[in-house]
Order: sequence, then C-alpha cells, then structure tokens
Amino acid sequence: MTGLSRRRRLAAVAVLALAAAAGGACSSSSDQPADGGAYLVWDPYPQFADDSEWVALLKKCGTSAGVTVKRTGYDTTDLTNKALLAAQQGNSPDVLIVDNPVISTLAEAGALTTTDDNKLDVSAMAANLLGAGQRDGKTYGVPIGANTLALYYNKDVLTAAGVDPAGIRDWASLNSALGKVEAKGKKGITFSAIGTEEGSFQFLPWFWGSGAQLTSLDSPQAVSALTLWTDWLKQGHAPNSVINNTQTTSWQEFATGDYAFAENGTWQLANAEKLGFPYGTIAIPASAGGPAPAPTGGEFVSIPVQRSTGRYATSQKLVTCLTSADNLLATDTTLSYVAPVAAVQERQASTDPKLKVWVEAVRAAKGRTGDNLGTKYPKISEALWTAVQAALSGGKSPGEALAAAQAAATNK
Amino acid sequence: MVPPTATSTAVPGPGEAATAAPPGSPPSRARRPSRWLAWGFLAPVTLYLATFYAYPLYRNVELSLREYTVRSFVQGGAPFAGLDNYRTVLTDQAFGSTLTHTLIFTAASLAFQFGIGMALALFFHQHFPLSRTLRALILVPWLLPLIVSASTWTWLLNSDSGLVNAALGVLGVDPVNWLTSPGWSITSVIIANIWIGIPFNLVILHSGLQSIPAEVYEASALDGATGWQRFWSITFPLLRPVSAITLLLGLIYTLKVFDIIWIMTKGGPTNSSATLATWSYRLGFGNLLPEFGPGAAVGNLLIVLALIAGLGYIRIERRQQLR
Amino acid sequence: MTNPTPRAWWKTGVGLVLTGLMLFPVYWMINVSFTRDQDMRASPPHLIPTNGTLDGYRVVLDQQLPYLGTSFLVGLGTVLLTVALAAPAGFALAKLRPPGGRALSFVLLIAQMIPGIIMAMGFYAIFLNLGVLNTLPGLILADTTLAVPFGVLIFTAFMSGLPDELLQAAVVDGAGRLRTFWSVVLPVSRNSIVTVSLFAFLWSWSDFIFASTLAGGGDHQPITLGIYHYIGNNNQQWNAIMATAVVASIPAAVLLVLAQRYVSMGVTAGAVKD
Repeated sequence: MTGLSRRRRLAAVAVLALAAAAGGACSSSSDQPADGGAYLVWDPYPQFADDSEWVALLKKCGTSAGVTVKRTGYDTTDLTNKALLAAQQGNSPDVLIVDNPVISTLAEAGALTTTDDNKLDVSAMAANLLGAGQRDGKTYGVPIGANTLALYYNKDVLTAAGVDPAGIRDWASLNSALGKVEAKGKKGITFSAIGTEEGSFQFLPWFWGSGAQLTSLDSPQAVSALTLWTDWLKQGHAPNSVINNTQTTSWQEFATGDYAFAENGTWQLANAEKLGFPYGTIAIPASAGGPAPAPTGGEFVSIPVQRSTGRYATSQKLVTCLTSADNLLATDTTLSYVAPVAAVQERQASTDPKLKVWVEAVRAAKGRTGDNLGTKYPKISEALWTAVQAALSGGKSPGEALAAAQAAATNK
Repeated sequence: MVPPTATSTAVPGPGEAATAAPPGSPPSRARRPSRWLAWGFLAPVTLYLATFYAYPLYRNVELSLREYTVRSFVQGGAPFAGLDNYRTVLTDQAFGSTLTHTLIFTAASLAFQFGIGMALALFFHQHFPLSRTLRALILVPWLLPLIVSASTWTWLLNSDSGLVNAALGVLGVDPVNWLTSPGWSITSVIIANIWIGIPFNLVILHSGLQSIPAEVYEASALDGATGWQRFWSITFPLLRPVSAITLLLGLIYTLKVFDIIWIMTKGGPTNSSATLATWSYRLGFGNLLPEFGPGAAVGNLLIVLALIAGLGYIRIERRQQLR
Repeated sequence: MTNPTPRAWWKTGVGLVLTGLMLFPVYWMINVSFTRDQDMRASPPHLIPTNGTLDGYRVVLDQQLPYLGTSFLVGLGTVLLTVALAAPAGFALAKLRPPGGRALSFVLLIAQMIPGIIMAMGFYAIFLNLGVLNTLPGLILADTTLAVPFGVLIFTAFMSGLPDELLQAAVVDGAGRLRTFWSVVLPVSRNSIVTVSLFAFLWSWSDFIFASTLAGGGDHQPITLGIYHYIGNNNQQWNAIMATAVVASIPAAVLLVLAQRYVSMGVTAGAVKD
C-alpha cells in the first residue's frame, strides 16, 4: 500500500513539474479547499437541485452541528465506483448515502465505519430493514427510508373484465384474472426483467413467494417461479418487451391504460396520482396464497472511513439529524418512501391512508443481502437475472437456466 | 495512375529521400537539424502523452496482473497473480462467443459506416443549394449524449410499442423482437452503431475530398472520363491515405464501443450481444461486486487486437511508401 | 457560384431526404420530449405529439442553462488545447520524418484503446494530487485526451498530402521550419484543423465519464451531468431528459452550421489564392 501511494505521489510530483514547465497551464493548488471545515455529503439523488427541500435539510443539519455541508448528488450506478475510487485515494466524503445492497460491498472494502466506531444509535430502526447494513454482527449504516414492490392495478380494466382485486390471493387466482382481462382485449401484466440488479429485484417476490431460497437457485420452487413468468410471455399475458424493460419503462407501459397490472415500487406513488385512470395496489401474492416477501429497496446513510477520525463525531451528529423522526418523515415523503422507524411509519399511514398497504408491505419485506449473504449476493443475483433472461428470451427452459445459474453462483 | 503517386512509382526506393531534400543542398546538412526540429514539434504532445496516458495504461496492466478484490482495491496489497486473470478469461465459456460478436460487430459496423459515409461524402461534395447546411445537420447526432441517442434507439426498436415494429406492421410484416431475442440483438446494436458512426466517416472523407485540387478533375474532364471512372481512377487513389486513417480510427473506436450496447441491451439477452468491451465493463464496473482483475484482462486483450490492427496498418502504409 | 440549375434543386431534394433519414432518431427524441407520460409507450406509437406537453421544457429551461455555458467553455478549451498539441505533431510526423516517429504514431493509436473509465480513474488520482479536481481546467485537460491522438493522426494523414514543393519553396525563401509551419502549412491545412476542432468539440460536448468522475462535485458542471437531474435512482423523467438533449443540441447545431459555412468559404478563398 505504501509503495503504491508513494509511486502515486511521485507521479503527481512529476506531473506538477511538467505542468509548471509547460507554462503553468493550470494554476493548481489555489483550489485547495478553502472551506476546510466543510463536511462533504454524497447522495444518489441527482434529481434534487440545490433549492430542493432535501438540500435545505442537509444545510439545516449542518448548521445545527456547527459546520457547513457541501453536498453532491451522483447518478446511483455511478456512485458505487466513485465511492470505491474515493476510498482508494483517501478522499471519501464524510457522509455517504447509497443504495442498500452497496453497503455490504463497501463494508467488504473496508471503506465504512461501524456503529462501534461512529457511535450511531440504530436501536429505533426496523430489524428487517437494518439487516441489509449488517455483516457478522456489525452495523455499517442506517436506512434513511425503504421501498418495496407491489402490484398496481388499473381499476377500469379489472371492472370491465369482472375481476375483483381482493380475490387475488395466490398465483392461480392471478393467472385466471390475467386470462379474463385478455378475453376483454386488454393486456395482462408488465414488469421489468432487464439484465441488471433491477431485474433480480423484480423477480425476487415471485422467487421467494414460491418458497425458494437464494442459496439454492435450481430448487423445484425456483423453477416454478420462473415458469410462471415464462408462461406469461408465451401466453401473451405479459409483453415481450419486459426482457429489456427498466422499472420506468414498465411504468410507462402501465400508464398507457392498456395493462391490468404492473409490478412496481413505492416510489411511483407520486406518479400514480397523475395517471389518467383510477388505480389500486395489492400485495404480490405468494404461490400458495398470502403476500409474498418482497425485497427491500431504499438507501442507507453511512459514515466512510476518514484519515482524521476526529471528524466522526460531527458526522454522527449530521446522520442523527438526518434520521431523526421529523426529518425522516419529511425526507421519506419527498422520496415517496416508507420510513424505517415504526413510530414514523404510523404517522405516515395516518396522514395518508394509501400508504397503509405499503407500510405493511415494507414490514413483511426482506433484505437482499440479509441472511448474512453479504457480498455473496451480487454473484447470486447476476446468475439469477441471467437465468431469467435466458428463459424469457427462449434460449433455455426455466429448469436448464436455473441449473446453470446455480452452477455459476457457486462456482465463482 | 495519378501524378503524385506516379512520380514515386517511377523513382522507387531511394528516390524518396531525394525528393525530400531540396535539390542542390547537401542532404546531410539539410536533414540533421530538421530531425532535431521535428522532435521540437513533437515535444508538447509527447509530454502530454507521458503525463496523462502512462499512468492509466500502467494501471490497466497492473490491475490485470494482480488478484484484486474490492478490499485490496481500496486498501492495497493485492497479491501478484501472473497471468491467472488472463487464464480465467480465456477459458471462460463466454470467451468464444464474445470474441465472435466483437469481430462481427466491428466488421459490419466498419463496412457500412465507411460505405455509407463515403457515398454521402461524395454526394454532399457536389454543389447544390443547402448542401453545406444539410451536411452540418447530419452531424447533430454527435451532439447528443450517448445515453440519449442509444435510449432513442431502444425506444424505436421496442418489441411492443416501438415505431419500427409499428411500421413493419403497416407493411404486413410480423413484429421482430429486436432487442429481446438472442437472434436479433446483435443486429440491432450494429444498426444503432452504424447510425452513430456515419457522421464521423462523412466528415473526414468529405474534408479529404475537399483537399483534392480541382485541377485534377478538370484535366480528367478534358479526357472525357465518366463519373464512375473518375471516382475509381482519381478520387479513390488520392483519398487512400485519408480512407486508411478513417478506417483505422473507425476500427479502434468500434472495438472500444460499449456504452451503446450497454444502454440498449446490457450485452444480452444471455450475452447474445456482448462484445469484449461490454464484457470488460460488466466484470469491472457493471456489478455490485467488481472483478477488476478479469475486467482489466479483457480490456488488455482488446488493446492487443488493436495492436494487431495497427501493425497491419503500418505494414500497408510502409509498402505503399516503398512502391 | 452560379445560379442553381433545376438539376441542382433535384439534388437538394435527395439531400433533404437523406438528411431526414439520418436525423429521424433525432426527430423521435424531439417527439418524446413533448410526450406525456401516459403516451410514451402507446401502441402503436404517436408519430407526432398529440396532446403534447411542455412540462419537460418548463423544467429544463428553469434548471439547465448554466450547464450549457459550462459545456461551451469546456468545448472551446478542448478545441484550442487539442489543435495546439496535435497540429505541430502532425506536421512533424508527416513532413519531417523524425526518428522514432512511427513508434510515436503507434503509441498514439494504442493510447486510444485504454477504456475511458480507466483513464478517468487515473485522472482522478492525478488531479486529486494536483488540486484540479472539480475545476474547468481539469476537465478540459481530461477531455483533450479524447481528441489529441485522433488529432495527431488526422493531421499526419492530411499534411502528408501537402506537396513537398510548397515547403521547399518556403525553405528556399529562407523561412525556418517554425515559420514554414506557421505561415505556410497551417493556412493550407484549414480543412483538417476544422475537422479536428469539430470532433474535439463534439467529444467534449457529449463526454459523460470524465465529467462525472472529475467534475461531479464541482460548481461548474457540463450538460451531460445536467441530464442526470432527471435520472433518479428509481425513476427517469424521459420527457425532461429528451428536452435537455434538444435544448443542448440547438445552440451547438447552429454553431456547426455556421462553422461549416465559414469553413467552406475559407477553403474556396484559399484555393483561389493558390
């Protein structure tokens, strides 16, 4: 490590000399942070501009902790690489907000502090949500809000087809509903089966709902879940485009009003109000009935490792402020998320009765990296979405695809 | 053949040196200072290369020779692994198909980009009202961030709500699963990549055409050559250096393309549109748990492919100069 | 030029059709930028935005204009630096035949094969130590790497086509190599200078990876990062994304058209002078 960084420093000196020799093309070092006291916060919410409530909240928390906060919003897929690179160069932000499965990767890299180091109090957080930030008994971050998946339905389409959404409790009743809708010339269901984490995220409720476990991708239950999806495509219940759909594309399809169902997340609630038709939501049914466990989504607030450990105390104040009850309520309302704290969840459900379904769904949801899968999860997930793609595109049968997935997940 | 090439064919080999030095002045005195001066002209760019390319290149090689995990990527101390990463990649069952896709993708993209680009360059080289404005407008696709242009293609090629399938439907053709069937995905990304590459070829070939002096054409017009004859006997040979560099650069840029494919299909479904470049990206950065070593190894294999192409180019170039 | 003949107008027609075909995806982007969410995946798709919305533009015009300015500055800086570095090098490689020149061209060729993300990681380390992370000069330096190897190779290809007699005449007149380059070679190379500038500008304009890695935390961000305002971690506002791309392309497209006019005039003028 020292050798590497010394070489890097040497390279930098050489570069500096060259730059100076080239006529001072860039007036360097003048840019050294004059605001040395500023605390850096990185988040995956580029949609929030500097005049948004979110940034106002960050500033407010900074002020009450007695420091200035400098915030940057990054594209979420870009943020993982950026966080690793910054950690490598010893340039991590003071507070880092990332998608929850990334926490175990960053923890594995040794880039995050544990609650032992940073003295964060996580006792109020719901255990099923906090799980995604825990490895080997250590906690690496606090959830700032949670989301999960459910089935949105188009009331007009279901009424026309004579389907009562309350009667959809297992896969058989869902299949018969899809058949009835199609008989009326409407389309059945849309979801996202794209070849990324998004695809696995969307498949998991069906996978878990069949009784399958992530440790055994080729179990008969798993095959039954993938067969369910594959048959939907074969029978025309679901469009072929799902293989390449992101969750946004899938939502746009639902928004046309042609589809009876769409599998989508809590974050669409604000957009759902803008739909041109009445909608409702039901839990995703499990194979044998009852709600299937859906995966939890949402971001974690973490405190990355710093050279000067003295900064942790202030960072801890910032994070505590961001995750205090009132602020959680405000943040999760703008993000259209469910709060990770039971008391705040109650308040959300009482202010907006529509959130009640979602609060229950989040309480029943399961972390992807939980069960101490941690950094094994990314490999499993990649194998899983590859299998889903192979089966849906007709390359392999569900059984073959999942057998290959299990081999790939355990092999590497 | 044409005048400039004709002189060099008439005086083979050493004649070249004679033309380079002004007649009358002794060659040795004229050449030595110009050689030193040449490096004076090259110094800024050499310095720039050494400063900004050396470290990334070193880093890419180093990443591929060590066994990096996320932990050692951040904390340092990755053990030296020799050629293990290369072995992993070369014996991966995806390697063969990925290499084939890369070759098909590159060859098809290059052939069509260059052919269409050349045709458009010749067409817009003529003087007609609006020719300049239209030629400039064709460049507009290059102003768009790739995420926008590639997403637009995804939109057009969507199986269910895409315009292309709607148009096929009007013609009575069954819809094609452009992006979602293993049989079509590579074709779809090739089409999008050709579209993106045409302006590049058009611009360079067009400026090549503009640097051909008008007198050459006037002379041949007197000879009564037809348009086609003129193209094969005058334009094409005179355009050869520019064509060669356009193809070579096109080759390099096409080998490197990953974002278009990544945005359109992620290399799928089931790796059916994966190239070495998307594979390298998927290994190194497209996953929650990056595998930097194998990712860098695939990247370096691509560099080797480019090296081979570059050597071929230099060989051809030298042969032409010697002739 | 003489008055256009009917035949020339016929060619304009063909030209319009060809341009239309090439720009169709761009039209589609404009179409989507006006489309309401519920019509985006209509099947069959709407060819024109019936029930269009200006929502996308309303958001974009509020937020995106400062980004455009940054992109222009970075683009111009990249063009200047690229030409300044590449033109002399191209001249030397094409006409002065330095020892080791071929090896250098080869290195330039290979340099372009380093994946952008690896380059960006390298720059991050270098820039952090230099203190130019998140600054405009830093981004210009990085974006220049996209075009310098291309520039040198293009200049070499074009300048090797210059007649040797032209240079010899200058030498006989007593001009040094530097003066020959400045007052003979550069003026007749306007064509290749424009080609290289054009691509340097376009590449820096559409660069995302350097911008994100090296300027993501800065006060001045280019337009490609502005687009990410509409790509949230769960949801994307496609009409705003497309509207940003439209707003970003219009000024740059006007610039392209003007540059082409200026250049073509310059080239004809130069040809007459010769």
